[in-house]
Amino acid sequence: MDLMLNQFLFLGAILFCIGVYGVLARRNAVMVLMSIELILNSVNINLVAFSTMWGVASGAVFALFVIAVAAAEVGVGLALVLMLYRNMRSIDVDRVDLMKG
Amino acid sequence: MLLGFEAPSIDFHALAPEIVVTATLAVLILVDAFTPKQAKSAQSSIAGLGLLLALVPVVTLAVDGGTRVMFEGAFVVDTFSLVLTGLFLVSGYVVILLSQTYIAEGDYWEGEYYQLLLASILGMMVMASARDLITVFIALELLSIPAYMLAAWRKRDLRSDEAGIKYYLMGVFASAVLLYGMSLLYGLTGTTMLSEIATKLAGEDVPSAAVLAIVFIVVGFGFKVSAVPFHTWAPDTYEGAPTPVTAFLAVASKAAGFVALMIVVFGAFPFRVDIVEPLFWALAVATMFVGNLIALRQTNVVRMLAYSGIAQAGYMLAPLAVAGTVGDAAVQSILIYLMIYATMNLGAFAVVIAASRKTRSGELTSFAGLVRYAPGLAVAMAMFLFSLAGIPPLGGWFAKFGIFKTLVEADSAAGYSLAIIVGVNSVIALFYYARVAKTMIMDDVPDGDLSPVQVPVSLRAAISITLVLTVVFGILPQLVAGLTDNATLLSAVAVP
Amino acid sequence: MLAQVFSAVDACASTTADTAACGQTYSDFLRQWLTVAIFTGVAFGMGAVMLGIAAVLRPSNKRTGAYQNQKRIGYESGVDPVGSGWTQTQVRYYIFALLFVLFDVEAVFIFPWAMRLEDYGTFGLIEMLIFIALLALGLVYAVRKKVLQWL
Repeated sequence: MDLMLNQFLFLGAILFCIGVYGVLARRNAVMVLMSIELILNSVNINLVAFSTMWGVASGAVFALFVIAVAAAEVGVGLALVLMLYRNMRSIDVDRVDLMKG
Repeated sequence: MLLGFEAPSIDFHALAPEIVVTATLAVLILVDAFTPKQAKSAQSSIAGLGLLLALVPVVTLAVDGGTRVMFEGAFVVDTFSLVLTGLFLVSGYVVILLSQTYIAEGDYWEGEYYQLLLASILGMMVMASARDLITVFIALELLSIPAYMLAAWRKRDLRSDEAGIKYYLMGVFASAVLLYGMSLLYGLTGTTMLSEIATKLAGEDVPSAAVLAIVFIVVGFGFKVSAVPFHTWAPDTYEGAPTPVTAFLAVASKAAGFVALMIVVFGAFPFRVDIVEPLFWALAVATMFVGNLIALRQTNVVRMLAYSGIAQAGYMLAPLAVAGTVGDAAVQSILIYLMIYATMNLGAFAVVIAASRKTRSGELTSFAGLVRYAPGLAVAMAMFLFSLAGIPPLGGWFAKFGIFKTLVEADSAAGYSLAIIVGVNSVIALFYYARVAKTMIMDDVPDGDLSPVQVPVSLRAAISITLVLTVVFGILPQLVAGLTDNATLLSAVAVP
Repeated sequence: MLAQVFSAVDACASTTADTAACGQTYSDFLRQWLTVAIFTGVAFGMGAVMLGIAAVLRPSNKRTGAYQNQKRIGYESGVDPVGSGWTQTQVRYYIFALLFVLFDVEAVFIFPWAMRLEDYGTFGLIEMLIFIALLALGLVYAVRKKVLQWL
């Protein structure tokens, strides 16, 4: 059981790192959104694995809430990206730098 | 694991403020869906009325006193949460007053604006009472997601788009990092209830993953309160967003971030202050210096207020660095600061909105000679700015005094060093606040146009409310101190 | 159990051969922060490694002039592409997809309730009715704003 848990946690940590890398390195807004989804999924893996380890359901419930909230977040995010594309004809986050100082 | 289900008992009195706001939100959606386009102006009145109505149960609960615990401790109504719920409701109402003409005149989506504003305020109210990781997370997202949309409200303006997208990406990334920290915390303790986490982590031997969890959680909330080095979104978002939304983000959203930070960090680790104190010390020092030094060279008043807000967040972080020794005095001094900061900062934004109705600009030069054609606005702005700087007869001095008192009471190297740094920064801050006042009073009007500014009734009301409160808090500080006297967060958790 | 889980992260004990000496060398405080340092190091290291591999493997794009433009086009031979790779789709597809995702995801709260319907009794029923009523409010809004009409 412990062995399994370690593997899940390792998967979660790897996904988290890939997600953070994606957020920092990717320039395409949709790719950044996908990287954030990766982080959220690593959280879900962690939560469900820990929930099984402790034998309590609260972690799984937490994961359900994370899934629902992530859907709402992505809905808003895609709308913002769409709006950006309409006004700028590009979704490169590096080009969004009108304001400085 | 199939256990019998027992329906939780629900204390409707304790939940009444949240229920009233939710009902108002439902009414707003229905009204918006079933009325023609011309009748949208009723929306702001309904929203404002709902917020004022929600204040009634807050007052009755406060008169009633006592602590009400629901859902096995996940939702607590005590003095701490009531003071904050009141703060969120009142500042939400002032933001509605600020928005009324701005939104109605600007060809924006009017109905949805107030719905999102109310949803965000509802999230803040839940946050004040949340004592459980899941509830904190849901409250955080409920207050953030509408705010992302509000920041991008002027959707054909590229600057507003930029404000929205930057706020969104930073905010979502921060909450993802925060969630990872929460999942580690859950893994270490097997519970989402903060009080249970606290007792399980109370022993001498803390697993190193707990430190990792703390760091992730502090980083996540650091974005929300715009603490340096997680502040990069704040100036751009504040400048690009519609000014009433900026006021909302700078005051209510930041206050909610502080509340969440206090609840989670001191709810889950009241006995591990040795780990969190150095972290807060470093954050507070960096936030104060960076905020103030960059604010010095700003030429846009809204952007300057954004950096000044970052610096103010630094002052508020300072008592957290000595929370282990002074206990709830730190929480109370932050509550006092949050209340006074809300009144004076909302007031400053109200004047900026009123003045830019004529000048159509937030640049410092456009404020030149304001006193010649709008003496009332100029005097009000000067008072808000001097209050922000902490000049005695106004509210700001008492807020700063509270912070100093807490830091000195700690009687430790960390406390004294922070007190000196807060003092140094207050002097730096005085320069840029005074510069705005000097431009308004001494400089000439740029184009010689001396026609008066038309200030609508709602803005007048907002400026009067905030101005009166700023002065009253300064002259009768025992009023605001009396509100927070019984606000406790740390001592609510029993020492094992 | 948890000590085992995080033993890999607790590098102090495993990397130095002499575990007893290790406990004395590092104070407890530093040991706790070591985890943070290692995690930060891994996070940055991973980014550096990924970027490094990409830099080594990808063909260099340093040439200027005509070659530069040749590299940018979709096919380096054959028919030249015309216009941009982006095509416009009806925004309605997006709204429908979004509404579907949002209402679909809310089902995760209804399934657990449906599984234990009898246990939750009247209380659960009322709670779920409130939940569905609030969701329906969103649907009513969408219908009234005419986003559910196809064309």
